Amino acid sequence: MEGKTKLVVAVDKPTPYTFDLGLLMAEDPNPIVLDHSSIEQSLAEVARDGAQALINQLLSTCPLSSTKEGVLLSLPPPSTHLPREKPVPQAKAPTKWERFAAKKGIKPKTREQRKNLAFDEQSGEWKRKWGYQGLNKKGQDDPIIEVDMQAERERKEGTSVRGDNRRQRKENVRRNERMMKKNARQGQANGGKR
Amino acid sequence: MLRTVKPRNARSKRALEKREPKAVENPKTCLFLRGTTCSQVTQDALTELHSMRQPLAKKFTKKNAIHPFEDPASLEFFSEKNDTSLLVFGSSSKKRPHTLTLIRTFAFKVFDMLELSLDPETFRGLAQFKTKKFAVGLRPMLLFAGTAFESPVANEFTQAKSFFVDFFKGEPSDKIDVEGLQYIVSITAEETAGEGDAKPAIHLRTYLIRTKRSGQRLPRVEVEEMGPRMDFRVGRFKEPDEATRKEAMRKARGLEERTKKNITTDSMGDKLGRIHVGKQDLKELQTRKMKGLKRSRDEDMEVDEIEEDDTKRIRQ
Repeated sequence: MEGKTKLVVAVDKPTPYTFDLGLLMAEDPNPIVLDHSSIEQSLAEVARDGAQALINQLLSTCPLSSTKEGVLLSLPPPSTHLPREKPVPQAKAPTKWERFAAKKGIKPKTREQRKNLAFDEQSGEWKRKWGYQGLNKKGQDDPIIEVDMQAERERKEGTSVRGDNRRQRKENVRRNERMMKKNARQGQANGGKR
Repeated sequence: MLRTVKPRNARSKRALEKREPKAVENPKTCLFLRGTTCSQVTQDALTELHSMRQPLAKKFTKKNAIHPFEDPASLEFFSEKNDTSLLVFGSSSKKRPHTLTLIRTFAFKVFDMLELSLDPETFRGLAQFKTKKFAVGLRPMLLFAGTAFESPVANEFTQAKSFFVDFFKGEPSDKIDVEGLQYIVSITAEETAGEGDAKPAIHLRTYLIRTKRSGQRLPRVEVEEMGPRMDFRVGRFKEPDEATRKEAMRKARGLEERTKKNITTDSMGDKLGRIHVGKQDLKELQTRKMKGLKRSRDEDMEVDEIEEDDTKRIRQ
């Protein structure tokens, strides 16, 4: 087919080859007619043409880079779509808390919110939200406190308006702990499932 | 169906994680096994294919009483047990002599199956060709020749092509050594003579590639047969059902790189960006200065007063 003296590298076919260089694949869409008296010879010719076309395509379109290991060809991603072996992994189901938070519109606290510092408008200073001189104790030790007459009438024996704020805070803590234990108990009963 | 096990230690947990479904999948492993009756030729063919598929391959030597098209349950079991999604089953019977069944699984259920009957006369192994052999695990180049493989509707040939691509693609890599382009697997289907004719044979040949200097930039390629040599006739086949195919062809989301807007690369490989410049305020444009167009002193004074007021307020 080709002359021996002048080596031909181009491959001529009526229909051009299609390539998937990511898979190092070439497709020859031309009808193949084999010579049955020397079938191996004709198959080898088909393969030679294909190999030549594929190598031409690889060397002319893929970027080459020389490294210590050798000359590397960068291949494009494969374009032939093959079936997967396992299904696409499912997104994790949201936890009960995540669903509740989404429903209520609860966002995770920001860095600022997590800090124990808040701006006190009255004094124009930054103060602790809780703890020593915390804002939750604001006004409880003032010399004069406004008294709610309604609350005063229903007051328990042996208490006064002086400890009200602290009593309320302690009660809140106890209530929160109670709820925490209740939730944990429920979680145990469900066996860790939702 | 295997029972689902909860890992009891870190090692088994890692092993289980390896076979979990992933967005970017592991390369497929292929399992080679034989039926209760299997001719020597078919066994040899299995061995040859196994050696070409190394290291992503497993081979069973015992006999298995399996008839893939009647009951693929044990194939599915083997697939799950060994985490192999490609299976090649060899068997030989009076009705179907020298048969290789190519099976792919999806989620450990049979996805598609294709029966190929091997021609025992023309079969040649790797050892029968006295040539240099390729290194283990080297990616072959692939050539599919013939109009049969280009059929727009799914048939035996497109399925065979899809299977062989899966079989020979090996481990995916985006870079390849030029020295690594050593051999080509050529799969040819001849043109059928006329309508209603027998389906053409599939010729699988493997050639070593020899390159010669051609005096041009591209080398001249010559091929030398290396083996194995196999001729197949297509037999029964089972197509995947539509729902499974759709599920198997799904692409994981978020893998394809998002194209960045307004960034391009020109033919020289330089990166170009297009940026947005805000609207220019022509009022602020400095034109030629003229005495007549100067701000009056009063205006200046007013501005100064306001500024002074501001500074006072801050001090307070």
